[in-house]
Amino acid sequence: MTYDLQLTNVNKIYENGTAAVIDFNIDVDKGEFIAFLGPSGCGKSTTLRMIAGFESVTSGDLMIRGKRVNDQLPEKRPTSMIFQNYALFPHMNVRQNVRFGLEVKGMGAAEANRKVDSILEKLGLSDISEMPTSRLSGGQRQRIALARSLVVEPDILLLDEPLGALDANLRKSIQNELKLLQRDLGITFVFVTHAQSEALALSDRIVVMNAGRVEQISPPRELYTRPCSQFVARFIGSNTIIPGTLREASEDALVLDTAFGPLAGANRNKVSSNKGQKMSIVLPAEAVDILPGDMPEADRKAAFGLNALPCTITRLSVVGHIMQMIVELENGEKVNVEGHVDKYRNRLKADSAAFVAWKPSGATVIDR
Amino acid sequence: MESKILKPILAVYVGLFLLFLYGPFFVLGTLSFQQGPEGGPQFPIIEWSTYWYRHLFGMVPPSRIAPLPVGEALIRSLTLAFMTMVTATVLGVMAAQAFRKRFRGAGVVFYLIVLGMMVPGVLTGLGTSLLANNVLGIERHWWTTAFVAHVVYTFPFAFLVMLAILNRFDGSVEEASWSLGVSPIRTFRKVTFPLIFPGVLSAMLFAFTLSFDEFPRTLFASGRDQTLPLAIYGTFSVEIHPNIFAFGVMTTLFSFALLAVYGILMGLSVRRAKKQAMQEDIA
Repeated sequence: MTYDLQLTNVNKIYENGTAAVIDFNIDVDKGEFIAFLGPSGCGKSTTLRMIAGFESVTSGDLMIRGKRVNDQLPEKRPTSMIFQNYALFPHMNVRQNVRFGLEVKGMGAAEANRKVDSILEKLGLSDISEMPTSRLSGGQRQRIALARSLVVEPDILLLDEPLGALDANLRKSIQNELKLLQRDLGITFVFVTHAQSEALALSDRIVVMNAGRVEQISPPRELYTRPCSQFVARFIGSNTIIPGTLREASEDALVLDTAFGPLAGANRNKVSSNKGQKMSIVLPAEAVDILPGDMPEADRKAAFGLNALPCTITRLSVVGHIMQMIVELENGEKVNVEGHVDKYRNRLKADSAAFVAWKPSGATVIDR
Repeated sequence: MESKILKPILAVYVGLFLLFLYGPFFVLGTLSFQQGPEGGPQFPIIEWSTYWYRHLFGMVPPSRIAPLPVGEALIRSLTLAFMTMVTATVLGVMAAQAFRKRFRGAGVVFYLIVLGMMVPGVLTGLGTSLLANNVLGIERHWWTTAFVAHVVYTFPFAFLVMLAILNRFDGSVEEASWSLGVSPIRTFRKVTFPLIFPGVLSAMLFAFTLSFDEFPRTLFASGRDQTLPLAIYGTFSVEIHPNIFAFGVMTTLFSFALLAVYGILMGLSVRRAKKQAMQEDIA
């Protein structure tokens, strides 16, 4: 089976010796929505620009639909790019912008017009098709850019922070549109962003990058519940990270010695016994339970084993049927916890003592 | 407090600037209406007349003052300025395009190009003619050696104008065009060029006007047939009559007309590009 997009040991090293992308490997199926996520300067945009052909590949293989395209010019590749600043042609109106890519394909005028009409219709731009682009809003402009790219029917659509210049509300609504559009068209999307919420909401798989290297490639949920490095655990968000050293390792659980005593987490990365190794437990917010301070120790031990840390509930608020809490551990670290109201109602009070607890399978142990 | 002192000073400064800019032209303009053929190039005006303008076009009976030998020189200068404008602008656009990517030795090449407008003109002119005559065996003409000297002189101006324009140019529209499957050449024609056209017009204006009244480089390089500035200078060495002033007024008006054309083209450039694209849609 051929992949839509395949990067094998792709490197980008600039002439001055700076390595922008190091050993990038990924196989992308047709119709997948892939996000490149990472802080600015991590190499995610450079990788996207290599796929588009705007940057040369220093070494490795870049394949699109089974064909090596390392040395193919951008205009020959079956990719199309969406830019953060829209990059619309300012001297053309909406319709001319969208039609531009069809004019070189040697397509009959009637057919071209039909295609332009249908994509304008699909993206809700029919009413403004004769307007100059300078008078339109950011959301409309990005839709025009989408129409312009999609009308040439690329195999892969590349999006470079396409929502970065839009305000929060608009971003949300265009996000939804993008997702629907991608499902509808069934073409591969590669989406670059530094906003983790965007990546988590949109993509089938997320590539987390840091300093030119791929840290992890996982579906959003797995990235969230099973980060495989310190960087991913911190970047993806509301995790609590407790450092320690390895005390015991078994097939599916690891026990670390920490400042709070021995604590356990899942052995997802299959660490073999190596006592004294420095590691950390990563607690996703949703794996955490809050137990009332007066719960008998035996009940606690039975349900959660070692994993119960004394804490104080410092804030407690209810939003709809979600209860949001901030608790403070004995070392002063604050932990955010969310849960269904029914689970906690009448059991917890603000400013009271409680326990932060988790099942070993809910937490992941990573190298430090 | 500050502006109470500063403002009048600045006003006086601007006033003096305008006086020195337009004063000479005003004096020449006034004297061009001196009575002829007896009236000389000085005040007072004996009697207002358009004699010297008619003299310029050979519309007065022959007198002891020969008509200005400018007819052919004017045609020559206009042709030369046009050739220079086209060549220097094309080169300037291409060179500035090249400088959008950093290449090895870019800094050195930049200074070598810009030096073209710094080197003393007389030396360039003399050097060009010596090189052509003695080394390359090319005869000196306004359309050979002088043309080369003019291009060398005006090219840096066109280059700098285009460099400034391309500096502010957002390259992502070009990338967008490539990624739609449009070749770089067509992208340049359909996207880049229409967007930098105002800058190209400015570069053309620079090159044309600089070449049109170029003197020091042309002095040695133009050979037997003189350009307009040389022809006018030649008449000074005999005796000055107000017909030169009349001619000066005419050329200044011509320059203003050129500026007006530039302004109109500039204003139309965006609208025309739009119309063009629209017509292609219909076709």
